[in-house]
Amino acid sequence: MAEPEFLLDSNIRLWVVLPIVFITFLVGVIRHYVSILLQSDKKLTLEQVSDSQVLIRSRILRENGKYIPKQSFLMRKFYFNNQEDGFFKNTKRKVVPPSPMTDPSMLTDMMKGNVTNVLPMILIGGWINWTFSGFVTTKVPFPLTLRFKPMLQQGIELLSLDASWVSSASWYFLNVFGLRSMYSLILGQDNGADQSRIMQEQMSGAAMAMPADTNKAFKAEWEALELTDHQWALENIEEELMSRELDLDGMFSKELPMGIF
Amino acid sequence: MASVSEMYDVTWEEMRDKLRKWREDNHRNSEQIVDVGEELINEHASKLGDDIWIIYEQVMIAALDCSRDDLAWTCLQELKRQFPGSQRVKRLAGMRLEALEKYEDANKQYDSILQDDPTNTAARKRKISILKAQGKSAEAIRELNEYLEQFVGDQEAWHELSELYINEHDYGKAAFCLEELMMTNPHNHLYCEQYAEVKYTQGGLENLELSRKYFAQALKLNNRNMRALFGLYMSASHIAASPKVNATVKKANVKYATWATNQINRAYQLAGRGTKENKCSVKAVEEMLESITMS
Repeated sequence: MAEPEFLLDSNIRLWVVLPIVFITFLVGVIRHYVSILLQSDKKLTLEQVSDSQVLIRSRILRENGKYIPKQSFLMRKFYFNNQEDGFFKNTKRKVVPPSPMTDPSMLTDMMKGNVTNVLPMILIGGWINWTFSGFVTTKVPFPLTLRFKPMLQQGIELLSLDASWVSSASWYFLNVFGLRSMYSLILGQDNGADQSRIMQEQMSGAAMAMPADTNKAFKAEWEALELTDHQWALENIEEELMSRELDLDGMFSKELPMGIF
Repeated sequence: MASVSEMYDVTWEEMRDKLRKWREDNHRNSEQIVDVGEELINEHASKLGDDIWIIYEQVMIAALDCSRDDLAWTCLQELKRQFPGSQRVKRLAGMRLEALEKYEDANKQYDSILQDDPTNTAARKRKISILKAQGKSAEAIRELNEYLEQFVGDQEAWHELSELYINEHDYGKAAFCLEELMMTNPHNHLYCEQYAEVKYTQGGLENLELSRKYFAQALKLNNRNMRALFGLYMSASHIAASPKVNATVKKANVKYATWATNQINRAYQLAGRGTKENKCSVKAVEEMLESITMS
């Protein structure tokens, strides 16, 4: 299957490829600033803050419990896991799953997310498709099957054209994802123009629902703590310490710091 | 009076960087901060840009420490003008009222912050320090306990509570607080040493053994902790001298105490390296150790 090499008019490069890159980039930057303006403050309740800290404390107990005496470790484990009145056994938080209908702030958040991200993408994609239609823009460096042709070659009605030659709309979408790293460079991490990150968040958004998580998190901590044993790190500390002389190098230096600078 | 920049021959950028370093390391050298900061604010305010606001905050707290009410007032006015309605600025205003001993007004200020934002930890901690300043330690302890029930992760608060308990001679509870700190900071030799000291003060064979172990841990984390070294010596000698221990334990502890003595002597030899004063102090230490050794 001979691949005829097309020579594209260099005007295409000047007037199509580069403008699309600029447009995508600028739209991204504008999206970032708009999202900052429309940001709503997330208010945490006292209970949420408190619960998250309790979970951290329990995790620290599991990990670093070996530095405190056995009695103290057991005392804390008992406090958390006791059958009758242990913290993890007893505390049930009221679970209200934040569905969009019941929680008005979630609704507005979703709407804002849609407006700032999806809408511009669709609008500009469509505009580019309409403006830069009817010609081949670029070639992807890897071969594609024929199934990709209707998707990537919108507006080019050539049956025998390799699927690797794509139209400007697909170049636009390529840019949207490709410029992500540029945004991190220029706008810093966590910027509002990061399209794919937002889509990932939306997909895992259901899993991130905080209230339902708390009860499950407590249960998970309870199980993990039950399994933890106390291996005192200081069992043979004297032998370890006295096996060699103390390293007193540089303890007494001649110079004392004088003044502020 | 010569200005700081003249005395040390530094530029305003170096002064600003020094202030930033003090901020990051949480130094409480208020007099120095006031000297450097006041000059920065008065002479170089325009060149500092947006840094100036955090410098105002830092200098204001230092000025309250040094009783420089005039300077504190100026800083507060500037901050209020730039950030009206900010809770952080309200807290600073409350601190100024505390410094002037107007405790009811300060309390009202903090209550208003807490009404807007019940999760604001700074305001709650200031209220507890008002109680401490008024000498109401029992109430301060109670409030701090309630605070810690909600914010279990606040290490500063745990440390403060342990200090309050030590002042009340409630060593068991102080040990509990220090255990929390040791768990969250397992590599900090100072917490181990403080815990060991509390256990030593509590007394009793078990606690002495624990204290010896934790003095050893502090030494392991930092070989140069002289206080821990002396503590190790004291606890080991005490256990060895106790009538309730059997022979093996006694022998082990005498060995530990001897090792500690050797290390102490070595340290004193190193300090001053054979000068005349040093010879006297080395001899004094040796005599002291011998006198404490109970055979």
